[in-house]
Amino acid sequence: MQQLFARVYLVVLAGVLLTACTSPASSPNSGTVRIRWARDPENLDPLIVSNASAYEVANLTHCSLLMGRESVHDFVPWLAEEFPTVQRPNDSLLLVTYRIRPEATWDNGSPVLAHDVALTLKVMNCPGLPIEKDQAVYGFIRDIQLDSADARRFTLVCQGQSPEHIRTSGDFSILPEYILDPKKQLRAVPLPAMLRAPILPAVQALAQRYQALQVARHPENVPGCGPYTVTAWQSNRYLTLSRKKRWWADALAPAPAQLQAYPTKLVYQVIPDAATATLALRRGDVDVFALMPAAEFARLQQSAEDQKRLNFYTADSYEFATASFNVQQPMFRDAATRRALGLLFDVPALIKATQQGGALPSAGLISPRIKPYYNDSLPLPTFAPKQAVTLLQQAGWQRGATGQWTRPSKTGAAELLRFGISYRAGEPTFETIALQFRAAAEKIGIVVELRPTEQSVLSRQLREGTAEMSIRNFSGNPFSYDFTSLLHSRGIGADNTTRFSTPLTDRLIEQITSTEDATRKTRLLRKFQRVMAQEVPFKVLYFLQYRIAAARSIGQVPVSGLKPGYEAARIRPVQTAQ
Amino acid sequence: MRGQALLWHMARAAGATWLIVSVLFLLSHATIDPESQLRDTLENATHPSEAGQRAAATQQLLHRYGLDTPLFYTTWHPQVGWQWHGGQNQYHAWLTQLAHGNLGYSYQADAPVAELLAQALHYTLPLTLLAALLSVSAAVGLTVVLSYRPVGRRWFLRLAHTLQSLPLFLLALGLLLLFANPDALSWFPAFGLSSTAAAEAWQQPGIMLYQLTLPVASLVLSSFPALAIQLDGALQQEFTQPYTATARAKGASQARTAWRHALRNALLPLVTLLTELLPSIVAGSVVVEVIFALPGMGRLIADAALQQDFPVLLGGVGLVAFVRLVAQFMADILYSVLDPRFRIAA
Repeated sequence: MQQLFARVYLVVLAGVLLTACTSPASSPNSGTVRIRWARDPENLDPLIVSNASAYEVANLTHCSLLMGRESVHDFVPWLAEEFPTVQRPNDSLLLVTYRIRPEATWDNGSPVLAHDVALTLKVMNCPGLPIEKDQAVYGFIRDIQLDSADARRFTLVCQGQSPEHIRTSGDFSILPEYILDPKKQLRAVPLPAMLRAPILPAVQALAQRYQALQVARHPENVPGCGPYTVTAWQSNRYLTLSRKKRWWADALAPAPAQLQAYPTKLVYQVIPDAATATLALRRGDVDVFALMPAAEFARLQQSAEDQKRLNFYTADSYEFATASFNVQQPMFRDAATRRALGLLFDVPALIKATQQGGALPSAGLISPRIKPYYNDSLPLPTFAPKQAVTLLQQAGWQRGATGQWTRPSKTGAAELLRFGISYRAGEPTFETIALQFRAAAEKIGIVVELRPTEQSVLSRQLREGTAEMSIRNFSGNPFSYDFTSLLHSRGIGADNTTRFSTPLTDRLIEQITSTEDATRKTRLLRKFQRVMAQEVPFKVLYFLQYRIAAARSIGQVPVSGLKPGYEAARIRPVQTAQ
Repeated sequence: MRGQALLWHMARAAGATWLIVSVLFLLSHATIDPESQLRDTLENATHPSEAGQRAAATQQLLHRYGLDTPLFYTTWHPQVGWQWHGGQNQYHAWLTQLAHGNLGYSYQADAPVAELLAQALHYTLPLTLLAALLSVSAAVGLTVVLSYRPVGRRWFLRLAHTLQSLPLFLLALGLLLLFANPDALSWFPAFGLSSTAAAEAWQQPGIMLYQLTLPVASLVLSSFPALAIQLDGALQQEFTQPYTATARAKGASQARTAWRHALRNALLPLVTLLTELLPSIVAGSVVVEVIFALPGMGRLIADAALQQDFPVLLGGVGLVAFVRLVAQFMADILYSVLDPRFRIAA
């Protein structure tokens, strides 16, 4: 009996090993690039796109009219033939005219036309669908006028005059009319009529058709005109994008960078843990690991074995770490106090401790990498506790016998320089920054309490103005210099969590966003940085670097300072990955 | 009488389940601000000059998720006192849909919660069931075999105590770095389940077993010491009883005495530990699932908590709470089966 059990056991073991050895995961085809994702896209409905993974898939399967390109620091034509022409018929309207590339076609061979753009806008305004975000972002597009003489030309009627609207008006995925409205019933319904009550039968039918397609879980039901299609998706495991055999942009010679797509297959593996992902990269189970933690990246760079099999890249991002002051708190009302506290951050030490030296210190909220706009005459942040003491004294603070700082308040009572510093709980970088600041502050007698806080609670506190000081990362981009949400008086109660505003900065922000003259914009931006360096509503600590490690077998990886940190479609695998 | 007792037990379990999920619902909704979360999703999406648009969009989102009504039947306002809202409240709506077997829709995935739970269980159950089976087998087998071998038993207990003192994440990472590392032994995959789509149907269970080896080993190594130490203590206690001396005097070998006579009585204290395993089987292990990139229940619930996806969070935690109550009920029955002196009493 025992012998029988032993034999059965051996047969099972042999079967397991045999099948394991034939695992398809270890033998990718040539042209395949395997990329690590920390998070599943969760929802691939182009109307929702709620995280970076979903955004990446949307950009590979669909095309927008325009695409932001980091290399030119602006939007470039993607599905559009060229940058749109703009007319301003009055003070409140903007007419943005596009023409779609004549080569652009859908998967069934039919051309991408202005009717597809009109239908997409109608979907984005269709009651019953998850259109809230689209309404918030693209609600300024009030109508679309089709050119009767040219099926590819159309004009978007936009509310408002902001130059930002020109670029935003071309930044949504175009959906196919032949799938969503095969009988072309919606052509008779003007865009402004979509949201009017009572809801028209054709609009109800569109909502039902869209919901029936279950795009959130089955993106293949609404194929875009991008180079890839989703061919496999196991939620929280992997997602595979396959290159279309015939994609319309293949006919373009030479194809501009935004219309290049080389890998035949992109396999995204969802691996939440960074240590596991590093191991998978070193074993050759994945080819690209982007946004790698600084310590892991430095360790791999120092390993002789890993230097042989991996390439290492860094890209200066537009994401920056800040310490923000709630300027409506009495102790942070004056700029001198804020400047003094800003001197207690040891930025070079923090860059070394949290980023392994891989970050750029900055004098302000524009990346030093953007040379024309960065105000390089401003000094970089310095760690100067003695100077901080002098500044505090200038601000009216006096150190008492207990060693703590006080000053008389408007009511006459003594105001104590004691505050809390809030940051997202479980974020080691923020915690290190807060600890360093507290240590420096305590040495000169300032009592600081650390307040790690759950994300939604922190958001509420920041919005309501109950947080005193906070540490956060802010994301920027090289296309837009609109600081309205962050620092304008109109942003208070929403994104302006410092609650800072002055008539001068409000005016500067408005001038920056409304000017299209590059020289004037440069001058205004430099002045704005100078004012910010004086006022210090938040202290910019450093701009982060994105770190990417990739297998040598896939060749050079085009990296980017914008998330996800690489351009997957432009990777040119040089040999079969093993 | 026994039927009545069973009915009472079931009614009590149902009541306790309702109480647990209700408290969970009210606590999760009352302590966390859904509006902040929704505002975050729209953050940077709009120009502040269109702040009205953003507020409208937030309201629409709250309405779509059913979060724009009062939380409970009554609310307290310092100015007006208690206010009664009738059936127009979030709790009533949620309880009504729950009574119809509908766990709701995930905010993030826009998919039915039941479907997401089923998907996660599809990955969790093979992992945890296999781990539980191996843990129990290893604990019972090794403990009984070594119970009458003093030297082996001593070393075995040392090992069990050492393993028990190690946190699960350390065990899992240790196994990963030892058996999935190109610098050490690269025998197993570094992350859980890669695509098996290209494999033949007959190959898929084998591939899955291979891919689950390290996660299962982590769970077994972390869960079997507690079972083994408990069982060893109970067995040694049984060996001091007169009936084992009688068995030995009648010529039964040490092995036969342990397996046939002492084990049944020694299993009694183990029943509680074994039934404790049941909710863990359903809940999965967030540590192992994150480290080995397995899309199971642990990760689903943890992600839902992180992203404040309330329907998924309540569905997952409610299921685990229900299974825990079932496990306690089963423990009561098992006690009465193993020892007739125990009876389920009303």
